[in-house]
Amino acid sequence: MKSGGLALFSLGLDPLFLARAALAVPPTAGPPDRRILVCLFQRGAVDGLNMIVPHGDPLYYRERPRIAVPEHDVVDLDGHFGLHPRLAALQPLWNNGSLAAIHAIGSPDSTRSHFDAQDYMESGTPGAKATPDGWLNRYCQHDREHQNTPFRAVAFGPQLPRILAGSAPSLAIDDLQAFGLRAPQPAARDRLTRAFEELYAGSATGLLSTSSQEAFEAVQMLKQVNPGQYQPANGADYPRGRFGKAMMQIAQLIKADVGLQVAFADVTGWDTHVNQGSSEGQLAARLAEFGQALAAFARDLGDKLRDVVVLTMSEFGRTVRENGNSGTDHGHATAMLVLGGPVNGGKMLGKWPGLDPANRFEGRDVAVTTDFRDLFAEILARHLGATDLATIFPGFTPDPARFPGAIRA
Amino acid sequence: MKIWAVASLCGALGASPLVAASTQAPLLTPRDSALHALNRLAYGPRPGEVDRVAAAGVMQWIDRQLSPDKIDDAALTERERQFKILEYDAGELAGMYVDARRERQEREASRDRDSVGARHAAPLPQRMDPSQDRGRRLAGELQELAVVRATLSERQLYEVMVDFWINHFNVFLAKGADRFLTPSYIEATIRPRALGRFADLLIATAQSPAMLFYLDNWESVAPGSTPPQAMRLRARPLFGRAPQFGRPPLFDPGRDPMRADSQRQRALERMPKGVNENYARELLELHTLGVEGGYTQQDVIDVARIFTGWSMGRPQQGGDFEFHEWAHDYGEKVVMGVTFPAGHGRDEGMCLLKLLANHPATLHHVSRQLCQRFVNDDPPDGCVDDAVAAWKRTEGDIREVLRAIFTSPDFWAAPNVRAKIKTPLEFVVSAARALGADPDPTPRLAQVVARLGEPLYLHVAPDGYPEREAAWVNSGALLDRMNVAVALAAGRLPGVAVSIDAIVPATADPAQLIAAVNAQLLGGTMSENTKAVIGHQLSDISDPLQARALAIGLAIGGPEFQRQ
Repeated sequence: MKSGGLALFSLGLDPLFLARAALAVPPTAGPPDRRILVCLFQRGAVDGLNMIVPHGDPLYYRERPRIAVPEHDVVDLDGHFGLHPRLAALQPLWNNGSLAAIHAIGSPDSTRSHFDAQDYMESGTPGAKATPDGWLNRYCQHDREHQNTPFRAVAFGPQLPRILAGSAPSLAIDDLQAFGLRAPQPAARDRLTRAFEELYAGSATGLLSTSSQEAFEAVQMLKQVNPGQYQPANGADYPRGRFGKAMMQIAQLIKADVGLQVAFADVTGWDTHVNQGSSEGQLAARLAEFGQALAAFARDLGDKLRDVVVLTMSEFGRTVRENGNSGTDHGHATAMLVLGGPVNGGKMLGKWPGLDPANRFEGRDVAVTTDFRDLFAEILARHLGATDLATIFPGFTPDPARFPGAIRA
Repeated sequence: MKIWAVASLCGALGASPLVAASTQAPLLTPRDSALHALNRLAYGPRPGEVDRVAAAGVMQWIDRQLSPDKIDDAALTERERQFKILEYDAGELAGMYVDARRERQEREASRDRDSVGARHAAPLPQRMDPSQDRGRRLAGELQELAVVRATLSERQLYEVMVDFWINHFNVFLAKGADRFLTPSYIEATIRPRALGRFADLLIATAQSPAMLFYLDNWESVAPGSTPPQAMRLRARPLFGRAPQFGRPPLFDPGRDPMRADSQRQRALERMPKGVNENYARELLELHTLGVEGGYTQQDVIDVARIFTGWSMGRPQQGGDFEFHEWAHDYGEKVVMGVTFPAGHGRDEGMCLLKLLANHPATLHHVSRQLCQRFVNDDPPDGCVDDAVAAWKRTEGDIREVLRAIFTSPDFWAAPNVRAKIKTPLEFVVSAARALGADPDPTPRLAQVVARLGEPLYLHVAPDGYPEREAAWVNSGALLDRMNVAVALAAGRLPGVAVSIDAIVPATADPAQLIAAVNAQLLGGTMSENTKAVIGHQLSDISDPLQARALAIGLAIGGPEFQRQ
């Protein structure tokens, strides 16, 4: 060490932990809680009816002469519903009870705007646009036990999504390998990192000080993780592309034991207004990538899936009836998947309203029978142990009697 | 020298409220006050500018900035010619987007018919789609134009206020027709009124196609009303085409009569069927009264009813504002105790906007937001009161409201100096300005701003980008700022050329280098710790150019430069 300003390092004490001690955060009792929630957003409104196909309903085939998935292609789940054939990689997870699906889930708000509906699903307050933060961040605000890691809440993407916006610390990581200072050689990078760390440790105040401490701690922890050297386990084969990479990096962080509790990633390309296809085609290609990434993630995690729940969501579903362009327009309810060790899997959840026009929303779309907040609240409460759900979903009274039963008791 | 001494230099203000400020005797030197004003009213100082403003008198500089039309900005005007987007009107832009979308759909259709190809091909990466590329290019041009103006304009306060109003009256560039309505929203709606009267700005946004589309008011109709197109559609015989009525049909039924009928059905289904409260709510909550402005849900509904029929020509053609009498609710409405009698049309909307523009809650709400921008994230009551008083006195003359804020003691008070964190736009632009940098017309510098978390015109929610530091300071964002600083100092940041030699000459003497960086880039605010850390880093670097790049990178990426 070259100067007195670096004395803390020479003692082997991480200044961040010293600072944290000064903040007098009460230490958590008992062993660290390793339960993890991974939220995936299918942006663009996935066609729930072609993802989880109601092949037992003749109306499905009547309304979709060109785009329905033929019964002989569907991967049957329970005699009435089945997986799209390009999601076949998920069948073993259904069979071993770690995958459940819920249909007819969505927002009580009737908007068919992607933009509004995504906003509502992420703020957790349908109809209220002024909510400043996202529900995942509010969960992190109210439950402080994991505060001693910068990796508690991580969004994989270039920006912090609405769902994680708010006062609780959360990282936005576009690429684990690129997170940190950039320099041509590792030695130059380390030097630059140290220099900025000293700058901020000695000159920053307020939020600049705490956030920079988190940043440098994260960089330090990541160095040990060595993100460039990751090999998926058990022969897991992630699909190429942004989504597969995000799932792989989430698995990597889970296995690195850096304290990840909440992870988030986007997967896009679901707005299938034109030529969406049936067993093959546009939507099938997106589902194949989606299913392959989920299956690889589960395989890669192996035993660690025991502590993990993956929740998929999408802002709304699509019209029951195919449109004039062999596609579907914006609808209302959709389907979501819940995957992981704690999941009450191998069954369809929720209440199926059927496709009878009389039971449809505004006569055209699958009606919402489960408010998305009931599913989200159940997972927060029964998986992550959240207690103050009313704060996480303001204006909503979560009622365990309405929980769809996604998590095993 | 104290601020009141500086004030005495500026005869232009005459008997200004600064006399009151002088009793507070803030402890700012002329240089400090020049730096403070350049940090808040401008996107940071350019090389030598702190001294120039201090010498001429900071209040005189502020006075000049409040009259931007008297400031010569020829260099920027020349630069703006590189931006093709300024040459197109909304209709032409709309045409480009519609053409591009049609091309894309046709391509997708032909790809899908090619079943062998479709069966195993992965979806094409989005960047390979040329129609999407064109949309992205225009969006990139629009964003870069904002960065170039912020960096190069002499009318700095004006550009700051344009950014303020763009966020106050936020629209979302990626929502449907707003892709091509936003350019004229910026150029024709916001920019001409950025320092005018608030009521004019409010009315202009209310009638702007970009806002009508963004907050859905264009589709808000009185329940039970029937658009003339629907009557024509219903009047058409089955399996046939009705005569044209001068306007293009809503759809082209083509030759397939079954298809024609199903399309007609769809067109009828798509027609708006009732009141949409979206604009009404945001008008009250965000644009005028504020969330605690004392209105009720019933007020929101009646405001929405007043604006039924405030619509636009066909969005896909870049249509302009239209008032649709057939869609208007002519019944009586009551908004916050004021009765709007039955039988009125467009005039009652104008009346309501004027009422809202002069409502005490609006004065307080918007004044407070201005003080958040210019004084402190959590502004003291004093400057807000000063702004409200000026608003009342001048009936909402934005220029005078600003003058009141800049002459308020709170603006100059020590706790509010360097109290704000730069937004990503402010960080990137102030860094570029500090280094005398010249952004090129490619969207790359705007992409840097986007990467740091503020993609311009792409804030999805109607509240605009926030003024709170909590929204901008997070670990990933700070690391990114450090990377941007290091790249910029090394001349490696794409999209911008820097000319450091004129600002910080290379020298083998670390002390001299640090002093120059402190004076030129940090306005003398460099902390002892920062000096020590940079000095320590320089101790084993012999190459003066490398040393200079490191010192500048650390200074701009360091904590002092994040503040303003």
